[in-house]
Amino acid sequence: MRAETAEREGSARRAVPAAAAPVLQVSNLSIRFAAQPADMIDDVSFAIGSGRTLCLVGESGCGKSVTSLAIMGLLPQRVAQIQGGTARFLGEDLLSMGRAALEAKRGNEIAMIFQEPMTSLNPVFTVGEQVAESVRRHRKYGRTEARERALEMFRRVRIPAPEKRLDEYPHQLSGGMRQRVMIAMALANDPVLLIADEPTTALDATIQAQILDLIRDLQAETGTALLLITHDFGVVAEIADDVAVMYAGHVVEHGPVEAIFNDPQHPYTLGLMGSMPALGGHTGRLMTIAGSVPPADAMPAGCRFSTRCPFVVEKCRSERPPTRLMPGGHGVACFRAPLELNVRAQPQ
Amino acid sequence: MMSDMIIETRDLIRHFKSGGGLFGKATTIHAVDRVTLSVRRGETFAIVGESGCGKSTLARLLLRLIEPTAGQVFYDGKELTAASPRELRALRGELQFIFQDPYSSLNPRMTVGALIAEPLQVHTQMKSEERKTAVRGLLRKVGLRPEHADRYPHEFSGGQRQRIGIARALASGPKLLIGDEPVSALDVSVQAQIINLVEDLKQEFGLTLIIIAHDLAVIRHMSDRVAVMYLGEVVELAETEALFSRPLHPYTQALLQAIPAPAPGAARGRQVLAGDIPSPAAPPDGCRFHTRCQHATELCGRMKPPLGDAGEGRSVACHYWREITPPPLDTLTASTRSNSAQQRFELYRRYTKTPRDQGSDAVTHNNAAPAGGI
Repeated sequence: MRAETAEREGSARRAVPAAAAPVLQVSNLSIRFAAQPADMIDDVSFAIGSGRTLCLVGESGCGKSVTSLAIMGLLPQRVAQIQGGTARFLGEDLLSMGRAALEAKRGNEIAMIFQEPMTSLNPVFTVGEQVAESVRRHRKYGRTEARERALEMFRRVRIPAPEKRLDEYPHQLSGGMRQRVMIAMALANDPVLLIADEPTTALDATIQAQILDLIRDLQAETGTALLLITHDFGVVAEIADDVAVMYAGHVVEHGPVEAIFNDPQHPYTLGLMGSMPALGGHTGRLMTIAGSVPPADAMPAGCRFSTRCPFVVEKCRSERPPTRLMPGGHGVACFRAPLELNVRAQPQ
Repeated sequence: MMSDMIIETRDLIRHFKSGGGLFGKATTIHAVDRVTLSVRRGETFAIVGESGCGKSTLARLLLRLIEPTAGQVFYDGKELTAASPRELRALRGELQFIFQDPYSSLNPRMTVGALIAEPLQVHTQMKSEERKTAVRGLLRKVGLRPEHADRYPHEFSGGQRQRIGIARALASGPKLLIGDEPVSALDVSVQAQIINLVEDLKQEFGLTLIIIAHDLAVIRHMSDRVAVMYLGEVVELAETEALFSRPLHPYTQALLQAIPAPAPGAARGRQVLAGDIPSPAAPPDGCRFHTRCQHATELCGRMKPPLGDAGEGRSVACHYWREITPPPLDTLTASTRSNSAQQRFELYRRYTKTPRDQGSDAVTHNNAAPAGGI
């Protein structure tokens, strides 16, 4: 293996303008789990344009993965009921679509990458066969053609010695290589929308950097819209055009990535960023968020963050804060924003 | 006589045999190879590296939780690797370990009180009543409540379980705490609580900390000195700020450049390390990093560079560290936060100030307490 370094593409992705109509438009999505007194996903809305990347950020249990599974129609209906809302993909509502129609889109126009590639790859087939299979599932390709497409995809995701790798089994590949195979499979049918759920969380730092670069480069080539789910603001800073911060099933703040980083408004966003050693400073105490996410049976009627918010007032507990739009497409669901104007300088 | 060094290792080696069953030949995994380092009393020493670099094996060797293949470990001048089982048992109380996943290290059939009392029983002469008082005190110290003693581990959140693991480690009155990825399984906001807690306790009990982690931001925040490992070897050792501002080894440089940017746009134009880590079963000859190093020459493939003195108390194992210019680490530049955003962070800090961050991610969550004030 020869040492080489890949130069970054730069900001090519920003050159792709957002199309007038979004690729995916999720509106007022609410989902309730069976026998739960409160909605797991609460009135979630966001949109992604062609060639754009939206990051859904939040901690475990905030509903970011459930949202993406709902869009893909992968939530078991007996357990999770959709209470309302739509998820329009190129104008068509995915949530009310029949099973066959959805299956024709899944893995084809809409593709998905998961966190742990080992559990999404079948251990008894070669990785080449698995990529070829996903091509043949949606295209009238012969075996040879499909294998050729798989090889082409392996080259595009920069797998070294691709001809040899095609005939290997998942366990023979490293974590980074497996994730490349998953990306090859996801992109093999030229999807319009790619959903990636924590695609780099299980990877080492240097491998994570490789995969993020790869996703960004491929996106610039193909113009695929990307919905990326992560808990890591570092990943967000690297890849997002737009960000939606989720807390307890609700989008508390959303906007262009620069606005979220340079001008965060929601107390939860502040707490989360201040908790990160990379953003919270190299010395001194880290900021923390007191308490924990309330369980469904104790979900407050008002703002869902009100039980942990340092700036809570009576209104927050009883009333839902609507998402208010700030300049630059930046939306915040908080009665007290902007804090520097509405909050006393010293706590009482 | 007290030496400045609490832990020292000399040419520590640990190889694992793998395979050699029905299928195929046995291979030797070079998990830790000739590691010589010393940890100062009272400092926070970090060992950093990617998966498979041998950092967890090294941590276990330091406390002799596993036996070395060769080499020595000294604790307070005594050779730990030559201690008898009885001597070792007597020292165990002073040397404690915090695990990554506290849940798998806590017996699910014991109450939290019994779990914390166990080390007191082994390492102290306390009577049953004294132990109960001590357990309550320890629970408070780690930000839990005394009444939590009667509960079982499954009733607690991940962050609280880590607090229980820390209370258990503190029970025997340790001088040295080793944390193997102590916060990496936790959510960001909980991670911050545990980091603050560990730093407070270190101060309060005058502990020496050794932190094993892959997250460089956590390392930078917590540690005084850092050892960087690659394929079983220490390739660079330096004071934390020196390492982060001017990394000398090409691997350290690559690692720092791979840190996700703290602000959008900051990571453009960086160099990304290509390729995968070679298998520790067949480490490359010469410098183990030469297969991925952009500065490698023929010499690097032939001759292993020793971990040599690089001045200012740093060491580096590279033939060419003097010639290589450290890359601009623009990923580490200050953020571009607006003034109003800075005011908001300041307000948040002011409004959440508590004497000690409470473990209030409690099962019994108190809706009336707005900010950690349990």
